[in-house]
Amino acid sequence: MPVSTAEQPTVFAITESELDLNALLAEITLPSSGAAALFTGMVRGVTERGDAHQTLYLEYEAYRPMAEAKMKQVAEEIRQRWPSVQGIAIVQRVGRLYPCTPTVLIACTAAHRDTGVFEAARYGIDRLKEIVPVWKKEVGPDGEAWVEGDYIPRPGE
Amino acid sequence: MKRVKVLLFATLRDYVGAASVEVEIPPQATIRDLEEHLIATYPRLGIVRNSMMAAVNHEFVADEQIIPDGAEVAFFPPVSGG
Repeated sequence: MPVSTAEQPTVFAITESELDLNALLAEITLPSSGAAALFTGMVRGVTERGDAHQTLYLEYEAYRPMAEAKMKQVAEEIRQRWPSVQGIAIVQRVGRLYPCTPTVLIACTAAHRDTGVFEAARYGIDRLKEIVPVWKKEVGPDGEAWVEGDYIPRPGE
Repeated sequence: MKRVKVLLFATLRDYVGAASVEVEIPPQATIRDLEEHLIATYPRLGIVRNSMMAAVNHEFVADEQIIPDGAEVAFFPPVSGG
């Protein structure tokens, strides 16, 4: 769902389609852009930290209209905190996703790299994991289980 | 009484066995009242009683929130996207 002004392109979406990182980056790059911080997460097939285990695939689902509204809110929060950010892309892929597949993209562009663009992208992924209603079920060799977050948003957050 | 459609996601949908249910509630019913009604109807939801979150018209709401007429109500566990 691109909501773009010529000045500040913002892209946010829930999609079943493969994430095209280059195309998304192009959508938020302006002639005056000189830096982008791009975070993507992928399905981890082998987990070594903590409870070591293997993952066959993840099954993602979203409460789509609320998820897209909350992604828009995250983009607005980024702009309030880092006014130098130019373009923002926030995209979550849903459906059955296998190891090594990108599942999410948060990207921010700016004129220069030292204006908060790294922090803005970091904030974006952290915030997505707090307030955007998306869930994943993990399927492994020994069964399946929903992954549950631990953040409880305040009313109106 | 009024009818409200409740959307369910992830664990909660599995426990209820449906992605949405229609419920009759008193006109002044709160989110907490609706939650208790759902747990009474679908006892497995009691397992996640302490982590059930509610949204009304795509906003997180407090348990004391009175459910407005025609609202889109959803219950779900803490989010785990990314």
